[in-house]
This record gives sequence, structure tokens and C-alpha cells, in this order.
Amino acid sequence: MRLLLVEDELEIQSFVKQSLAGAGYEVHTAEDGRAAALLAAKHVYQGMIVDLGLPDQDGIDLILQMRKSGVTSPVLILSARRSVDDRVKGLELGGDDYLTKPFAIAELLARMRNLLRRNAPPTEDSTRLRVRDLEIDTLRRRATRGDEVLNLSPQEFVLLEYLCRNAGRTVTRSMLMTEVWGMRFQPDTNVVDVHIYRLRGKIDTEGREPLIKTLRGIGYVLKDR
Amino acid sequence: MSLRTANPIMRSAAWRISLWASLAFAIGTMLAFTMLHRFVASDIQRRSDAWLSGEVGVMGDVAARTPKDRLYGRVVGEVAELASREVPSRQRSSGNENDAVFFLQAGDSGPATLWVGSGDGTANLAAIRSTRVSRDVPFDLRVQGFSIPFRVASVRVGDGSNIYLGLSERDELHVLRNLRVRFFALWLAMVLLGFVIVFYTTRRMLGRVSEITEAASRIGQSDLSSRVPDTRGKDEIGHLGRTLNHMLDRIESTVHQLHTITDSLAHDLRSPLTAVRGKLETALASGMVEDHSESIVSAIDELDRLTEFLNTSLDVAEAKADALRLSRSEVDLGELVRSVIDLYEPSMSDKGLAVQIRSVGSIKVLADPGLLHRVIANLLDNALKHLPASCSVCISLQIDGHMAVLSVEDDGPGFEAEIDRHLFQRRVKGRASRGHGLGLAFVEAVVRVHGGSVTAVNRSEGGAQIKLSLPLCGARTQEEPQSLDLVGSSS
Repeated sequence: MRLLLVEDELEIQSFVKQSLAGAGYEVHTAEDGRAAALLAAKHVYQGMIVDLGLPDQDGIDLILQMRKSGVTSPVLILSARRSVDDRVKGLELGGDDYLTKPFAIAELLARMRNLLRRNAPPTEDSTRLRVRDLEIDTLRRRATRGDEVLNLSPQEFVLLEYLCRNAGRTVTRSMLMTEVWGMRFQPDTNVVDVHIYRLRGKIDTEGREPLIKTLRGIGYVLKDR
Repeated sequence: MSLRTANPIMRSAAWRISLWASLAFAIGTMLAFTMLHRFVASDIQRRSDAWLSGEVGVMGDVAARTPKDRLYGRVVGEVAELASREVPSRQRSSGNENDAVFFLQAGDSGPATLWVGSGDGTANLAAIRSTRVSRDVPFDLRVQGFSIPFRVASVRVGDGSNIYLGLSERDELHVLRNLRVRFFALWLAMVLLGFVIVFYTTRRMLGRVSEITEAASRIGQSDLSSRVPDTRGKDEIGHLGRTLNHMLDRIESTVHQLHTITDSLAHDLRSPLTAVRGKLETALASGMVEDHSESIVSAIDELDRLTEFLNTSLDVAEAKADALRLSRSEVDLGELVRSVIDLYEPSMSDKGLAVQIRSVGSIKVLADPGLLHRVIANLLDNALKHLPASCSVCISLQIDGHMAVLSVEDDGPGFEAEIDRHLFQRRVKGRASRGHGLGLAFVEAVVRVHGGSVTAVNRSEGGAQIKLSLPLCGARTQEEPQSLDLVGSSS
């Protein structure tokens, strides 16, 4: 899959490109709006990552301009601004997403993946998810590991469902805050970690192989292999 | 039902101003009329006195010259009769024309020697004799049987008797009464008209002022870009509108400047932070720096704290300057608090803290939900950081007038005495605190930007209480009391 990364800060551009390449994407880069528009006219990209503060024009103007010329691929907006512009909100409603700087790479990858999946034909969005010997039924709100039925609170169930849907991929605390609790801020205390510890206490009981792995400084991953 | 509450017009400034103006006008004109009335009355009196004195003098002459024979009575009587027909400005009254004037000649004692007038004159004579008066000037005389007094002039004739000429004051009083009735009707009309004119003009004037007030309060609450209506008048009110708009221009440009500064500060700090964080993360993920992973992890943590601190500092700075950008929507405060408690409950019960919420029905506020999440989270973070184990935190929601009141109480050690006073200032924190000291400053700033207020006290029964009040959404809520809805903690 080919992506276009528009970012004028070369330091940021280099590590974002590196991690996107590491995740298997082919990445083209541009440092300003003009170069980006030229590239977008020449190639077809499945997705774009656009920084709002470009040297020659506003990122939003670039996106709107490309939309006008028929580019429909989803955009992940990077913003170092404090408040979310109304126009960004408009784009968000239109199916694009935004991420404020500084961000965790895992989150950038997760959001990019989500954007690309939105455009792809829907896969069997099953109500039954299976990760190794862990199985959850989202309709009946039931989770089992092996033959043991897990006694989860509604909130723990939502958390586990999110981890299962992202099995094998890193999820950060801020992704959990946004997706599970619907809040966009970082708490001052380790409240998210405590939720994970509790969930782990119920899933990874004695004698079983631990499924939830902590990636220190980054987040968590539900191991699928 | 009192008039005061019955009609909003009567509570308006226009009503009061026109009431007072009309009162002053009424009193003034009344005083002026009283003076005029006295002047007219004394003038009429003076004229009739002059006539009386003249006539009575003529009578005296005639009486002195006429021989005292059989014809005396007839001659003097004729002259008196003629004189009575020449009464000045007289009005023909119905009935006997003679009752307005009488002529009397009498000695100091004994019956009247001559009487011309209605009746037999004994009552008049008795009244004259009972009145001690100087003989040279006309005097007022009240006669039994007559409701209206007479004005009487007298002259002494040669034979030692007195001649009296009396003129009823009826005409004079009639003129004055007419004057009073007409004046009163005119006065009433003038006062009413004056009231209507003053009321109409002040109401129009003040209507423009209240338009400006309404617009200004709208601007204060929502957007700084709109302006109060400019009436283009050259008067004080037009000037007021223009002054306000000028002030708003300056405030808007200051706020805009502040936004530019905080935005560029945020941008300039965030870009390097992003680069540093990204590099650290890549290094960590590559697994090539196994030995240093511990320090890289803690560096990333520190960076995240720095970012959070930067964001909160800028938010507090903007909120203090009333320039925090809000995206408001209707928020159910109870639901919002519950969702944050759901997030914090495991951490709190791990620490041995109990948390419960009490609320009455649904309480809706117009607020920025993202900021309110952070406010509640800050309060719970505080509880987590400062309360010793086995304390409990109680969050209660109430409606007090037009405000939603959220109170967070605990039974912990309370605030330290020395920081109590400065609780909401930036960077004030307890000695044992590891936080950046922005928590409560942020809470206060956000609540204030939403038009509310925060108080923090140590409860008399021990523990701390922080009370937030926020204006209710359009001040419209279900009033019916509902039973307390208790959500206990699971611990």
C-alpha cells in the first residue's frame, strides 16, 4: 500500500517514514504543499498523512484542494496546534482523522490502519472474536478462555473487546482513553493501567500463558501468536 | 397580588423616571397656580372694596344733604337701589337680585332707620353690631341665614348714625371657583400628557440601552466577534454603543494575540517533543538498546508529563484571560461524572478509597465535555494522590437556583492550612505532592470560563470539600424532586 507523508519537519518525517515502512507501507514524502500536490497528481495513494503547519500553505487548504481535484483517499491530520480547528472537525466528520503532536507511533499506525480499513470493503465484522484460546461473543457479552467463562464487568468487557479487535498490535493508553472511555486527555495517575491489571488478573490466571503484554513506555498488546 | 410584581413596566427605570418627573411637574405647577390664585383673589377684593368705599361715600353725602323729612327714606332708598344695580362684574343670579347687596342706616343702638335689601335686615344689623371693626376699611361680615359672607363698607353721617353698604362675596367666590375648576382640569391634562411623553421618550432611550446590555451579555457568554447594535445616534447612548464596540475590538484583538502566542508556543515546543519522542520510541522498538530501555521508558514518561504540563499551563493561562476556546454542548452532568468515576473506580478501590455519587434527576449544563472530563478527573486524581487508605469520597449533584452544584467531599486530612488560601493559584501544592501544582488552578479556570465558581474548604467534621457551581443549561430543568439515586462503589 502506498502512502503520502506531508511533513516539513525532517526529523519527524524521517521517523514516521521509518515506522510506516517498518509496518509494510510504501511511503512517499513531501516537505510542502506544492510538492505534495504534484505527487498526488502523479500517483494514486491509498492514504495520506498531512501536517497542518506547512511552510507554504495550511494543511487543511492542501487537503481541500486535493479533494477538489478528485483525490478521495483518507487523510490522517497531524496537528501541533492547541485547539481543534472547526475545519478539522469537518474533515473528521467526512471520514478523516486527526492526531495531535506529540503522538505515539503505535497510535499513528493504529489510526492509519483504521482509516485504510474504513475505505476497504467491510470484512466479516463478526460478533465472535477469537484470539488463541480466548473467545468473546459481543452479542451475548460473554468471554471465555479455554472452557472457563470469564466473569467480567461491562467495562472490562469493552476493554477486552477493543484489545481483541486489535490483537497483535500495540495499543497506547491514549488510544484506550479515546476508544474505550471516550475521553481525549491523559490522566495524571495510572488509572488506565489499573484497568489493564484487573483485566489481566481475570484472563491470565495462574498456569496460563499471559496474553496481555505490557510494552513499557508504549502501551499494551494482546498477543495473537 | 401587588402591582409591583404584576407588571414588568412598573419595575422599569422609564416608569420610575416619568413618575418622579410628573410629580415634580405637578408640584411646581400647583405652587405657581396657588400664587396666581392669591393674586387674583386679592385683586378682585381690592376692586370691590374700592367700589364699596366710593358708593358708601356717595350714600353718606346724599344722607347728609337730604332733609330728614318724610321723603328722606324714599330718596336714600332710591339712591341705594340704583347703586345696587351697578355692582361691578355681577352675575345675574336666579331669584331675587337684591340679595347680593344691602343698604342699612342705623344708630349705635335701636332698630335700623333705613333698610334696603332682601328680608328685614335685623340679622344683618345684629351681625354688624356683634362685629368689632374699625369703621374706615371694608370688612367681612357673616350673616345668619346666608352661606356666603358680605363685604361691608361703612360711613358715619352727621346725625350720629352709620350707613352700611354690604355686597355679597358670592360673585367673587364664583369667579375664583371657576378659575380653580378650569385650572385643575388643565393641570390634570398637562400632568398626564407630560407623564406619557416622558415615559415614551425614556422608554425608547432605555430600550436602546437594554438592547446594548443584552447584546453585551450575549457577547460575554459566547463569541467575541459580534458587536452591540450601533444606533448611529449622536447622543450619549450612541456614544455608549460605540465605546463598547471599540472596547470589544481591543479585547478581541488581545484575545487573538494571546491565541497566536499560545498557539505558536505550543507549536514550537510540540514539534521538537514529537521528534524526540518518536526517536526514543523507534530506538525502544528496535530492541537494539536493551541495556538502556529502562532509561528510555522513563524519558518517554517524562516527555508525556511535560506535554501534559504544557497543555494544561496554556489552558490555564488562556482560561485566566477568559480566552479559553470552548466547544460547548448540552451535557448531562450526572452521566459525565459517572463515566469519569467508572474510569477511576478501580484505582481508588485498589488504594482502599470508596467513591459514591448522589444525584437528583438529570442536571444539564451547557459546557465543553472534554474540559469537564478533565476537571472531574483532576479532582479524582487529587483524591488518589492525597487521601490515605480507607477514606471515602462522595460526589453529590444538586440544583441551587440557576446553578448546578457539584460537590466533592472526603473524610481525609483536609487541606494543609498554609496552602488553603492559595489553593487555586498556579503551582501551589502540598509539601508531599508530586504533581505539577496545576490541578486545582485548572479546575478553577475551566469552571470560571463556563460562568461558574469553585470554593474549597475544610469541612467542620473533618476532610475537604470542593464545590463547583455551573450555570444550568438555559436554566430549564425538570423541577419535580426525584428520589436520591445512589450508586455505591463496588468496594
